[in-house]
Amino acid sequence: MPDAVETIPIRLKVNGKSHSLTVEPRLLLVELLREHLDLTGTHVGCDTTYCGACTVLINGAAVKSCTVFAVQADGAEILTVEGLETDGQLHPIQRAFAECYGLQCGYCTPGLMLATHQLLARNKRPDEKAIRKAIAGNTCRCTGYQNIIKAIQAAARNMDGVQQRSSV
Amino acid sequence: MTLGEPRRWVGHALPRKEENRLLRGRGKFADDIKLRDMLYLRFIRSPYAHANILSIDVSAAEAVPGVICTLTGAEIVPLTQPFIEIGPDPFAKIKDYPLAVSKARYQGEPVVAVVATSPAIADDAAEVVQIEYEALDPLGDGEQALQDKSLLHEEAGTNRVWNGVFEYGDVDRAFKDAAYIVNIDRLHFHRFSSTPLENNVVIAEWNPKDERIYYSCNNSFPSFAIQFLAAHLNVHIDRIRVETSDIGGSFGIKITSYPQMAVCALASKKAGRPIKWVETRSEHMTSSAHGNERTFRDTRVALAKDGVITAITSRHIDDCGAYPRYEPLGCVIWSQVFPGVYRFKNARIDFMQAVTNKCPVGPNRGYSRMQHLWFLERVVDICAHELGIAPDEMRLRNYVRPEEFPYTTPNGCVYDSGNYPKMLQVAKDLIGWDEWKKKQAAARKEGRLLGIGIGTTLDSGTNNFGQSQIVNPGLPYSGNSQGANCKLDIYGEVVVAVGSCPQGQGHETTAAQVVADVLNIHPDLVTVRTGFDTERNVHTGFSGTYASQFAVSGLSAVHGAAQKLKAEMKRLAAFTLQTKEDDLEFSMGAQGPEVRARGNGKSINYWGLANLVNANTAALPPELYEVTLNCRYIWRAPFKVPDKQKKYGNLTLTYASQLHICVVEVDRETFIPRILDYGAVDDCGTVINPPIVEGQVYGATAHGIGAALMENCVYDAVGNMLTSTFSDYTPITAVNMPAVKYGHIETPSPHSYSGAKGMGEGGAAPIHTISAALQDALFASGIVIADSFNNADSLFRAMVAKEIGQAQKLVRVERRV
Amino acid sequence: MYPRAFHYHRAGSLKEAVAMLSQLGGEAKLLAGGQSLIPLMKLRFANPGHLIDLNFISGTSFIKEEDGRLRFGAMTRHAEIEDSSAAKKIPILHDCAAGIADVQVRNRGTIGGSLAEADPSGDWATVLMTLHTELHCLGNQGERTVPIEEFIKDAYTTALAHDELVREITVRKPSPNSGGAYLAFKRCAPVYPTASAAVQLTMEGETCREARIVLGCVGLTPIRAKQAESALRGAAVNEKSVSAAVEAARTASDPQPDMRGSAEYKHTLVGALVKRAIDVARRRALGEKVELSHIYA
Repeated sequence: MPDAVETIPIRLKVNGKSHSLTVEPRLLLVELLREHLDLTGTHVGCDTTYCGACTVLINGAAVKSCTVFAVQADGAEILTVEGLETDGQLHPIQRAFAECYGLQCGYCTPGLMLATHQLLARNKRPDEKAIRKAIAGNTCRCTGYQNIIKAIQAAARNMDGVQQRSSV
Repeated sequence: MTLGEPRRWVGHALPRKEENRLLRGRGKFADDIKLRDMLYLRFIRSPYAHANILSIDVSAAEAVPGVICTLTGAEIVPLTQPFIEIGPDPFAKIKDYPLAVSKARYQGEPVVAVVATSPAIADDAAEVVQIEYEALDPLGDGEQALQDKSLLHEEAGTNRVWNGVFEYGDVDRAFKDAAYIVNIDRLHFHRFSSTPLENNVVIAEWNPKDERIYYSCNNSFPSFAIQFLAAHLNVHIDRIRVETSDIGGSFGIKITSYPQMAVCALASKKAGRPIKWVETRSEHMTSSAHGNERTFRDTRVALAKDGVITAITSRHIDDCGAYPRYEPLGCVIWSQVFPGVYRFKNARIDFMQAVTNKCPVGPNRGYSRMQHLWFLERVVDICAHELGIAPDEMRLRNYVRPEEFPYTTPNGCVYDSGNYPKMLQVAKDLIGWDEWKKKQAAARKEGRLLGIGIGTTLDSGTNNFGQSQIVNPGLPYSGNSQGANCKLDIYGEVVVAVGSCPQGQGHETTAAQVVADVLNIHPDLVTVRTGFDTERNVHTGFSGTYASQFAVSGLSAVHGAAQKLKAEMKRLAAFTLQTKEDDLEFSMGAQGPEVRARGNGKSINYWGLANLVNANTAALPPELYEVTLNCRYIWRAPFKVPDKQKKYGNLTLTYASQLHICVVEVDRETFIPRILDYGAVDDCGTVINPPIVEGQVYGATAHGIGAALMENCVYDAVGNMLTSTFSDYTPITAVNMPAVKYGHIETPSPHSYSGAKGMGEGGAAPIHTISAALQDALFASGIVIADSFNNADSLFRAMVAKEIGQAQKLVRVERRV
Repeated sequence: MYPRAFHYHRAGSLKEAVAMLSQLGGEAKLLAGGQSLIPLMKLRFANPGHLIDLNFISGTSFIKEEDGRLRFGAMTRHAEIEDSSAAKKIPILHDCAAGIADVQVRNRGTIGGSLAEADPSGDWATVLMTLHTELHCLGNQGERTVPIEEFIKDAYTTALAHDELVREITVRKPSPNSGGAYLAFKRCAPVYPTASAAVQLTMEGETCREARIVLGCVGLTPIRAKQAESALRGAAVNEKSVSAAVEAARTASDPQPDMRGSAEYKHTLVGALVKRAIDVARRRALGEKVELSHIYA
């Protein structure tokens, strides 16, 4: 164990906002978000990289922020659930989760929406199998996944529709 | 008994009020809350299942920079009383403290607490606490524990927590007259836990200035917790304030967090600062609460020639882990569904509960009833197969009939409404029963192992707490109650508070729907307080969220409070508008919701009414001084105290039912059971908000499928828990879960104001259903499905044992015709 | 869950990482994707005094096709391999990459880190042993090339010296009439397989010219089932030869009982997986496009 607490300076952008901080090497990204930046929408549900409640995007890729040290996010752009909305308007994924009753207690929801975000960025019209695979790293104990899958399908339709309209 | 207001909102798919914050990441869960100068607590837990604690040395931990204090069992004994025991002597004599005192009784039991300025430092310090143990032989099995060869709790002198015989009808006669007797040696319902995704969290502050204890936590039955805590901590109950906010699931599990709440308060008192404890997943798996494990021994079933069951006798051994805590309530709760959905009148169940060196159990979605319902479904299903009666036909012959409701069970419970044959038909239609039957016949010709199973189950809701007197006649509990408050605030806003602490069931939404209908306003105009707070003064002794009851107890309380408010508003409006009360109508005006006199066309809006009572009081005549527009209502269930000797009486108010059908195929090479089709039909009476109900059905179905195929709390021979992480326990995920076909019927309950029945637990229908489907797939291979947990490995081992002739013969049929 | 405190070192190059390893000694560990290491540190089962972070070194993550070989930088993430059109040309690599844990873990975890960890349940070593695979290892003494078979020594033990790391993995592209398949049974995505089978077959018509069969999670290391390979080599791939291969594979497996299954079950399971993987490998070798994904509980 080191004698004095070692800290490392890092800079990162979270939901478009730049931050410069010094952190202990052992600080996990999820703690950085929750405890240092007060972004408590990202949750912790397990200790073993199973449940995905802590999922955020690092440079567009979904990761479990409980399995990344904060120092590793130095220079990265991070998107958390708090960054999904724009000027108070819900993101189409958020809207779809609401419309389809895709959440109950809401604890897993932020992680699931960010896993969805990555999926739909790469696959505009995923079939049910692709959706199940894309959320295989996110545990939900309330919904049985049924309405989550519906919500992701609805989000895909919403987003695809928006893009098609804007390209006309 | 339904009341008159039109239903513009109740019964409709209103979007949930909860979503706005939860979807934006702005929910407030317990771990999101920080208090000034807060410290962090970590438990050091016993690595042994059973061991004497010889010595504890905390000096190295206390020397770690940032550590404020430690706490041991020996330290808290003089400061506290042992927790109240619900059960009678001799188990009432045991000494249950929240930290092990001289001996540890399960792996994961808290022994020492360390308190530090950060959670990481607390973890560092936890590593250097020195505890010397002397390992004792662990008791890992309820039946073994009942032999009393060694004891967990010496004060009790036995490991038997409770024993009672539930006997009704004329059992001996029924067996004498039976055409067939089916004997089943042993059935076993496994341990699992619904593992809410949010772990337990406690923030406690023992304020030295006023000796008040403040809790911000996610306990799901706070009014029960404070009764235990006040007695344990020697404080007046009003000195304890419990607040909950958003809760990330409980499924009953978070009812039993009060021991950790006690330690956090004591640690706060010692440190003089607020304490936060955030449970880790491993802690949750090893030491939060598991569902009850139950073994069913020596079951005998008497049947008539046509397969109608006439009597059942059996011996049930419930394993409650190391401390009874909420138990032995489970020893009676199962009897709410004594005959399940079946008509048999004669039965004798000898029920025993034992302590073992495992995690204490606690209520877990389907608490105590699901074990019994699974047992009955196995009995019916095994009998059907043994007697060569089609399982669907067997059920139809034995179901309580639609025309028999309200139906009084042999033990005096009153099933309010239901229609099981109709549910069976709806479920068959959902999955295309006839088509599957054809496919099954074809598959069998190819040697494939394809089975179709039915599970019919009950979700009994709104307990009569009088049943606790069946386990301990001295207990001061009976009936059921829930409180709610509905008011017009000073500016006329409609505000509702209720004594529940929801975890995703949409209480804010459904409560608003009910009030909106009473006052004829839009639900958006109804503010429903989030979470629970003892200082809102709406809770009763039974307030919380558990046992499938909000739609009945919670919404009845809300409805009662809203009606009380409406009556006061009418009195006030009649005076102000100079008219009679029956001339008034509630409507929307230009200045918001208002009360209008039909006759003279005058109206007053809600602000005007509230202002008269709160701010413009000189205008109020003395005869209206008692009008407060702040209406507290306590709803009470119409129960009587059951007959304790005969164990007879109505134990629950409503009986929602579920009927599932599942098609499963066991792969001949990998033995992996694969669900090919799944239908779930629900009847919870009148539905308040259909998508919320549907969501509960999907969720309960996932829990059941997970429990049936994936989730099992496994201990090794020396009491190590082998499934102490999610990676070992494997809660069900999206790639495991089949698409569920949902259907429902409505048989309104005559026992609730709205016709709704409490629901949400689901009666563990998938466990019964999957067991039945596997039975159907494997009966021809000579396999009896005798355990509620079946995965590829266990099915493989059963098949091999059969092939090499080492399978135990579990079932024996005596034929007298 | 908080790991013990440690010293953090950010390597600017692989050479620097090697120098740090020699300088810091046995208490130092490399941090690649961290998807196994970090959970172990959180549970305090692994407690390195120093972590050397490889994530900021440029040029360590790549997939290149060269001279009939595929070259993978050691820090290439599983997801990059899953999405790579080059890697898709060797279907067994895609089976493997796409089946590791879940999306989030595949976005972080690396092929080099996975191989260097040598977890008996890891996927890559099992798959790469069916191909001609070499690991290019960089140490204080310079670089050396180690065939995969010699790289994996034992459970959690590789041929790497303490101050050595994996720089690159090269895989020789199999001939066009060769096809492979990797199939695992997993209780769910985030956990390791209960058992897995990797099969690479080279076919001439219906006759198998060359076969590689490797079993995963049923021994301390991936097990090359040589008897099973012999059962197919030079034979027509039919019910008889396949069942001989399956039987031989089962015999070769040496599983331990754990929460994933009993030893007896894994014996049986691995045989069934080999059988199915042979079928897919054969069809792929014959030019058929076959989608394959793992079996989940």
